Amino acid sequence: MTKKYKILFIKCITAAFILNGCSSSNKHVSENKDPFEKMNRNVFQFNKYVDKKILSPISKTYVTQVPAKIRLGVSNHLQWMDAPNTIINSALQTDMENTILASAKFLLNGLSLGFYDLDKGETVIKKRDFGSTLANLNVSEGPFLMVPFIGPKTTRDLTGTILDRQNMAKLSSNSIDDINLAEIPINMIDKRSKMSKTIDNIYLSTDPYIKVRSFYLQNRRNEIYSKKYIENKNNNLDAEFEKFLD
Amino acid sequence: MLSLKSFWIRKKISKFLNYTFLIFLIFNVNLNKSFSDNLEMGEATIQQMIIEAQKHAINTIKLEPNVRSLKIELLIKKYINLDFMSKATTGTFWKKASEIQREKYKVALLKQIVLSIEEHLNTLAKLSYKPIKSERRGKKLIYVKGVIEDPAKKKPSVNLLWKLAANKNGSFLILDLEIEGISLVSSQKAESLSILRKNRGNFDILLNNMTRNN
Repeated sequence: MTKKYKILFIKCITAAFILNGCSSSNKHVSENKDPFEKMNRNVFQFNKYVDKKILSPISKTYVTQVPAKIRLGVSNHLQWMDAPNTIINSALQTDMENTILASAKFLLNGLSLGFYDLDKGETVIKKRDFGSTLANLNVSEGPFLMVPFIGPKTTRDLTGTILDRQNMAKLSSNSIDDINLAEIPINMIDKRSKMSKTIDNIYLSTDPYIKVRSFYLQNRRNEIYSKKYIENKNNNLDAEFEKFLD
Repeated sequence: MLSLKSFWIRKKISKFLNYTFLIFLIFNVNLNKSFSDNLEMGEATIQQMIIEAQKHAINTIKLEPNVRSLKIELLIKKYINLDFMSKATTGTFWKKASEIQREKYKVALLKQIVLSIEEHLNTLAKLSYKPIKSERRGKKLIYVKGVIEDPAKKKPSVNLLWKLAANKNGSFLILDLEIEGISLVSSQKAESLSILRKNRGNFDILLNNMTRNN
């Protein structure tokens, strides 16, 4: 990595932590924690434009022209390429069961470079990234951000994504890192094709930006936090619901 | 004489305790029975709705889109608590809205629900629903957990959590649906409140936004 990139990386991390520091230390933030809403809405419009003009047509062609079996193979391969992140972060979160299972599956599917799931989806592996590791270390979620080309993130998750990318670059050889970079657009098309109906539905909603924010935060919190958090959330919702039923 | 008296008192106390235990047992059995009855009713409501929706998807595939929408609207109306959903998604602003605004909001909300269901209706017909677990929550709520699976195993399973409560007639109505942990009421609430807050609680602007998109 050149010096220029190293400095850029350090700047990004510092910026993310500063933004994160703007937030309160409360681990579970409210739905409305969006101090950059105006800026985020502009980025959302930009992302929507890119999606409508580039990503959506490509993903539609991808679905219609590429056979389902090949798409499944590509999807499996992309998941396999991401497995080292899950292994590292599961270990950092001391989730040994997930670490072992993810490692075993990574090695097994490595026989087909991940294109074929030899395990046939029998082993359920929880996807882990550095964002979830930071959450595990009680780093607060921070404000919500809409990142150009990437989409919704919180400052903590954005920091995590950058660190995951750095980890992969450090661990793998240059050629694998190049493959990884080349696979980013493929990954975007694959994800877009899988979520096509949901995204189209979001665009039809009253306020698509708020819907994306709500979906992202709810999904991410359910993914990251423990059963205790989900139980607490459900208890609060139950109390609210009972109030409206009276 | 004293020992006879104490014997009599002891006998009375033991009799009292026996009766108390019996009453507690009967009450507890009945309570548990009514709890399990409610859970079964809640599960049956969801099963029935899924079956009807799948039948509807197959039977109405050749109909005009408008007629199809109308039919699905009637089906959904039967199973959801629209009054509750309207209140829950607008929070304190509901009290400030006029009767006409409230009715219009209910219609717009129902339309949105119908639209989002219609998008997935044809896919739903090919999938199977399996109930997993149901539990009673608090005094009024019931959670029914289930999973939607693709028999061909081409699509990943989707976890669903239905939140239900009994209405005045005793039948169960859906209050909220969580798809993979994402609550639809919470999402709609975030949207509605954001527009209402920005426009100082002006319900008409919210209604305009909703009908424009519908």
